[in-house]
Amino acid sequence: MLSTEKLSAYYGMFQALFGISFFAERGEVVSLIGANGAGKSTLLRSIVGSVRVAPSDVRLDGHAVGGRSEIDQLARGIALVPEGRRLFPSLTVEENLVLAARNGRSGPWTPDRLLRELPVLKPLRSRPATALSGGQQQLVAVGRALVTNPDFLLCDEISLGLSPVAVEAVYALLATVVNEGMAIVLVEQNVRRALAKSSRYYCMLKGKIVLEGESKTADYARVSAAYFGD
Amino acid sequence: MTIALSSRMPSGSISRRIAVWSGLILFAVILAAVPWFSTFAVQRLLVEALTLFAIALAWNLLAGYGGLVAVGLHVFVGVGAYALFATSNQLHLNPWMLLPAAAVFAATFALISAWPMFRLSGAHFAVGTWVLAEMMRILTLNSPSLGAGGGMPLEAMGDFDRWTRNAGVYWAALMVGAGSLIVARAVLRGPLGLALMSVRDSEPAALASGVPVSRSKIALWVLCAAMTGLAGAVAYMNTLQVTPDASFSLNWTAAAIFIAVLGGIGTLEGPIVGTIVYFALREFFADYGAWYFIGMGLLAIATMVAAPGGAWSLLPQRWRFDPFRVRRLMPELGPDRHASTPALNHDL
Amino acid sequence: MQIMAETFLNGLMLGALYAVFGLGLSLSLGVMRMINIAHGDLIVVGAYLTSVVMSAIGIGPFAALVLVVPMMFGLGWVMQILLLNRVVGRDALAPLLLTFGLSIVLQNILQELFTADTRSLQAGDLASLGFEFGGVSIGVLPLLSTAASFALLGVTHWLIGHTHFGRQARAVSDDPDTARLVGVNDRRFFAVVTGFIFSLIGMAAVLYALRTPFSPTAGPERLLYSFEAVVLGGLGNIWGTLFGGLVIGVAQLFGAKISSGLGPFFGHLVFLIALLAFPQGLFRRSAS
Repeated sequence: MLSTEKLSAYYGMFQALFGISFFAERGEVVSLIGANGAGKSTLLRSIVGSVRVAPSDVRLDGHAVGGRSEIDQLARGIALVPEGRRLFPSLTVEENLVLAARNGRSGPWTPDRLLRELPVLKPLRSRPATALSGGQQQLVAVGRALVTNPDFLLCDEISLGLSPVAVEAVYALLATVVNEGMAIVLVEQNVRRALAKSSRYYCMLKGKIVLEGESKTADYARVSAAYFGD
Repeated sequence: MTIALSSRMPSGSISRRIAVWSGLILFAVILAAVPWFSTFAVQRLLVEALTLFAIALAWNLLAGYGGLVAVGLHVFVGVGAYALFATSNQLHLNPWMLLPAAAVFAATFALISAWPMFRLSGAHFAVGTWVLAEMMRILTLNSPSLGAGGGMPLEAMGDFDRWTRNAGVYWAALMVGAGSLIVARAVLRGPLGLALMSVRDSEPAALASGVPVSRSKIALWVLCAAMTGLAGAVAYMNTLQVTPDASFSLNWTAAAIFIAVLGGIGTLEGPIVGTIVYFALREFFADYGAWYFIGMGLLAIATMVAAPGGAWSLLPQRWRFDPFRVRRLMPELGPDRHASTPALNHDL
Repeated sequence: MQIMAETFLNGLMLGALYAVFGLGLSLSLGVMRMINIAHGDLIVVGAYLTSVVMSAIGIGPFAALVLVVPMMFGLGWVMQILLLNRVVGRDALAPLLLTFGLSIVLQNILQELFTADTRSLQAGDLASLGFEFGGVSIGVLPLLSTAASFALLGVTHWLIGHTHFGRQARAVSDDPDTARLVGVNDRRFFAVVTGFIFSLIGMAAVLYALRTPFSPTAGPERLLYSFEAVVLGGLGNIWGTLFGGLVIGVAQLFGAKISSGLGPFFGHLVFLIALLAFPQGLFRRSAS
């Protein structure tokens, strides 16, 4: 289980997160919803090591792992698909995958398997990674995190700017992955989609968690109120 | 929520102000009277210190307030010195009267060189200015009209007796040193200073707020060139001979950098502390030759690794003060948060 | 006409050497976003190191490289880990000032150890061999040196394009934060890169020292020529650096023909003019 315990995070003197406590178990999908600036990305980046926090703020199966570097977290099986995809333009699609695979853990997900599961990417493997459509790039970005064989995949706004068809393709990939026992923490601005694709949700506002619960039984009115802070 | 500007004076300190100003005036009088109660050697050392201080101040302004690291700042030392010597020799005029001309010459050179130089930024700009300095060195080295390798003497100096010459150069140096400090402070407290500090904090934000970023940087470049050129001219009045290898030597910038690094970049009091330390070290270690330079280099390295804020940063926060009142700092909002400062230099 | 052709050819060969000088700087700027002001002094260190190895063991310059290259790699690795990693990624000021201090330290240590006299590496009989081609006389040593320069550029190009090391280098120069996310360990990787750069410097040093006498203070000029080659060629472009180097080399030699002391001056002048005309360098950044 990946959890945070009263996690607080700062950018210089500015406090972005105030005592966040949440958890995700292997094999489940948890969504983080909230408006822009609520702190969702900051939370993911704190867990994965891009933002430094106290060691006890983040726990993996009970062990305190907060404040370690991204490379340490990757070795522990925590991977982030960053907001905006952030593929490397100087590398081809295949090179983006191979680079991550070589640095990550070994496991069932390899670049070859990814390209097999996503036939649409196969003919594009030698193209510079940013010369693809948004949807295709998002698949590569998710794939790049997958080939490090994480136990916990953190996804930051992966449907942003994508067509509905592309979004479905991305989520189909995630569904395969969840079936194999991976946990997914999903940051989504689209409340309906977030609740549809996850088993539990947390709603954030101004750096705090203001509502949490089971996605199936979520009351849309309450969620909206929490989302907008009414 | 109102934020008190740290530059506002607390009330009831009029008497303290009078005390400070009287002290300063007394100090100035003593300094001015030096030619009457000290030796020529001491005067020459003071001239060196004052002119180097001005150059270090200029380098510090560029790097600390303008974000412009200029490894080739010494180009203006040579340009200013040669301008003075050449015009004085050609026009047979009193060199003291031509000092402003040296400053103007250096400033003009800076303005013209800004065109190619400001195409570069960051580290590129730093080395690019060095290329400029090298160009000028080689050019003067190969110019027979400027004396080529052997350089030129300052002919007009022969018209004066030794005491007058030394005193005159000393007073000129005093004016350059004090003047640089006064001008620097005035500029920093004015609109240019505000513009530069906004750029230092965040260039994109400054641009978006309508700050004339390029013009501000060029203005600073020209100002610092004038300061350096003037200091260079006076420094070579001290030695009576200007040569390409000496006046366009990297050692000028190296010394300025050491002084700035030791004293703290981005402050006005830093170069004062740094110059004193630099000359103290030089006098103590004069016999050690190359080891002195090795020591200085190691010190610079160690400082950048351990205390990049210079000597000031080693003092605890509450002991620090702002004698020149040029810093604009936000008041502390609460307990020091830096323990959790993330290792970030980029945007959210 | 023959003199012009000869000058041009010699300029190209000199330029190939400058391209190798610039290669290390280009990598440093691209991957670590930092200029090592001591770059030129490190070339001189490499030259002295080779000289010492040669006289200690009694072997030729190319044989000495077998020892010098690993030593330089190690030196670079250690320097990155101990010193440079502490200032990488911070503002541009810290690495500049640190390496500036380093430059002063290196020059003065070399001066203490070897005095200010110039020396050169002896290539033996190779130095005097030459041949005629189309009425132009070409030295064998410069030609071999040029071939070696091209080989080094080619090997580096291959490394960047086809190895894990190269992929990591490209990724880090694209986006250092995301590179960390996919497991690139900056600290160790930068040490490898700097080790590689120092190895290149070591090889460039031998090529340089065989054709030019060197002294402890020869470093800064080499840095300036490296810098000019890199900036002219556009950042992040190996073949651009080659072109930049060639331009500077030719400019210097033609300048020297016009007036013997003004060779480097013409190189600097051409650099400034090209900077005005092509502010981004002559080539765009290549996304190889």
